[in-house]
Amino acid sequence: MTSTKLIIIPAFNESTNIQHTITEIRNSSNGFDLVVIDDGSIDDTRARALAAGVEVISLPFNLGIGGAVQSGLMYARMRDYDFVIRLDADGQHAASDLKQLLGPLKDDLADMVIGSRFVGRALEGYTPGRTRRTGILYLSAIIRCLSGQRILDVTSGFCGWNRKGINLFADSYPVDFPEPESLVLAVRAGLRIMEVPVTMRQRYSGKSSISVLISFYYLIKVTFALLLMQLQRKGRRSL
Amino acid sequence: MTTQQLTILLAVLLLIFVIELVRREKLSFKYALGWILVSVFAIITAVFNDMLFKTAYWLGFELPSNFIFFASLACITFLSLLLTIFLCQQNNRNDKMAQQLGLLERKFEDLKQNMQS
Repeated sequence: MTSTKLIIIPAFNESTNIQHTITEIRNSSNGFDLVVIDDGSIDDTRARALAAGVEVISLPFNLGIGGAVQSGLMYARMRDYDFVIRLDADGQHAASDLKQLLGPLKDDLADMVIGSRFVGRALEGYTPGRTRRTGILYLSAIIRCLSGQRILDVTSGFCGWNRKGINLFADSYPVDFPEPESLVLAVRAGLRIMEVPVTMRQRYSGKSSISVLISFYYLIKVTFALLLMQLQRKGRRSL
Repeated sequence: MTTQQLTILLAVLLLIFVIELVRREKLSFKYALGWILVSVFAIITAVFNDMLFKTAYWLGFELPSNFIFFASLACITFLSLLLTIFLCQQNNRNDKMAQQLGLLERKFEDLKQNMQS
């Protein structure tokens, strides 16, 4: 029996990029189903995604990336998918890297994979500027302290889960700082995490919502959130 | 016990209480942040109270206690404004959700009728 695979694309006001992203995935993905989570966009993201012929889940208002990804994972659980890969609508993540992410999940080497800019192959493609890299390095160190796991690209939005991962995060996915927090949660829940090398590109167009956030204030807040999370009991109820 | 010690004690208790609420997941980080900042600020001003007295004098308050009342009132006003904003957002979302649910039910009924005919 072949396994069922789903790609979830959270999208908030990505009308200029969404069709391009979908076409690229269509041309290179084998056997992946595709669902776009329209996170309360106020432009025509939904219409364009529908025109491109994919399934769209439209949220009635903007929940933020965490809520959108969780919706996708809930959908995956509802439809009983074996594997889920999440990638961004802005074209940062190359569809040719999909098999890299799927590999460890399929071979049952990991429950969660992260597409990383910092492991494996020599840095090529898009790498963040120095300030941002320092920030990621710092967060990586914090997460290593808290969880004991060494993860380099802690803010990567290119990741995948097997059933175990889907179940965990369909129940509760962090909303404040989804990427770093979800890693700590995953380690705590006993998920095996693996980083695989991917190439990231500059987004097709528009401004990233995170570039401004990766600032000193952002780092302090994330640190704080991660520390507070550490105090929470292991069995995290969904709010 | 001096007033200074009492203030510090209360502020520390507030901080512990807020952290405990986060731990029990009664408060999420987003909403706890304001309270944590307030309690930390209160601890700092209570420990270094000469700074407080100087600021009160510099701003032209006759008594430092007046300044404390003023500052805490301003603080509470600000926090309640924040709460109003959150409440308003929740209200809007709730309305929208009810409307969407109504529309969805209608769509579902249409679908059912189409299938029957």
